[in-house]
Amino acid sequence: MNFNLIDFFSTTIDLVQKQDHGSIPLILTIGFLFGLIIQWSRVDTFDKIAGFAMLKGFKVPKMLFLSIGIASIGLFFMIKMGWAHYHIKPIMLGGLILGGIIFAIGMAILGLCPGTGPVAVSEGNIDVLTGLIGGIIAGALFTYLYPDLKEIMGPDYGKLTLTQLFGEHADWFIFLYGLAMVAIAFLLPNREIEEEVGEV
Amino acid sequence: MQLPRRLGWIPGGIALALLIWFTFSQWGANRPIGASTGIAYMGAWFFGLTDTQYFQQITKSGSWEVIFLIGVLMGGAFTSLFITKTFKFRIIPPLWRKHKNNSPLSRLLWSFIGGFLVVFGARLAGGCTSGHFLSGATQTAVSGLIFGGVAIVVLILTGRLFYKNL
Repeated sequence: MNFNLIDFFSTTIDLVQKQDHGSIPLILTIGFLFGLIIQWSRVDTFDKIAGFAMLKGFKVPKMLFLSIGIASIGLFFMIKMGWAHYHIKPIMLGGLILGGIIFAIGMAILGLCPGTGPVAVSEGNIDVLTGLIGGIIAGALFTYLYPDLKEIMGPDYGKLTLTQLFGEHADWFIFLYGLAMVAIAFLLPNREIEEEVGEV
Repeated sequence: MQLPRRLGWIPGGIALALLIWFTFSQWGANRPIGASTGIAYMGAWFFGLTDTQYFQQITKSGSWEVIFLIGVLMGGAFTSLFITKTFKFRIIPPLWRKHKNNSPLSRLLWSFIGGFLVVFGARLAGGCTSGHFLSGATQTAVSGLIFGGVAIVVLILTGRLFYKNL
């Protein structure tokens, strides 16, 4: 056990400064804006996320699909201009399927995920704080068990994107892909969970 | 000027797309948004597992995401206090009360289990909603799309089975 927070933060800040992924103030700003957008849209609540699992409200998937649709088209051309790069995760088939199942069971119960969870904590949800503690313990256990778990996470089918598959037609494909994502966002039902007055 | 108390899914989705562009770009962080590696990094650190193979693999992403998540906490607290005015200490979400039970102890216990499963599953898969779905599907990554497909189906199935009076 090592709960020396000063040591934790100084080591972490040091590790980040050695990378070429933005200064500390810039990363804090990106996080701040993420928290602002998520909290302002109120998609950081159990009612919105578990509410989607119960098919009572669709704001979370609508917002996700819309932003993926818009971002995918823009990012494709940003990469063509040399302004950004792809950062693709490998297809570890066993891990993706088993992990996806365990993750989604937990998400339906907790009603939050690792990105929205901290936002929910920041607005005073004590239950989500115990969820975060559970998550930190899970992270430690996973780290400890990793040498054994590695075996079931494969096979590794490498890093693949759909635009790669379409080769020279990728320009057309990315438009269809982005538009399809935006269309899904609009076609999902407009039902939303009414926030109860007592809650806010 | 009066700021709106809520962002709808359209302005919210557009704002999130702009933030993804900025984060990926060379003027931003030149990397995707992600969250679950940061939580695993904290767990490994607090439990003294920094000499492990896994911690060595995730030190870069994990440390970046810890700083990102601190920003997220600040942004969420600021917005809930000053814009949406929704800051309040609470334990049981209204929908839990309606479809599960009225016991704070039960909610806290299930939250702990849920949070545990979320992070353990995300680490097995190599990402979560942010890393695999939001960032992965934006890059048309096959890994992110497989994860998203599995997760949406299981999320809805769990919702059917775990809650009542639907």
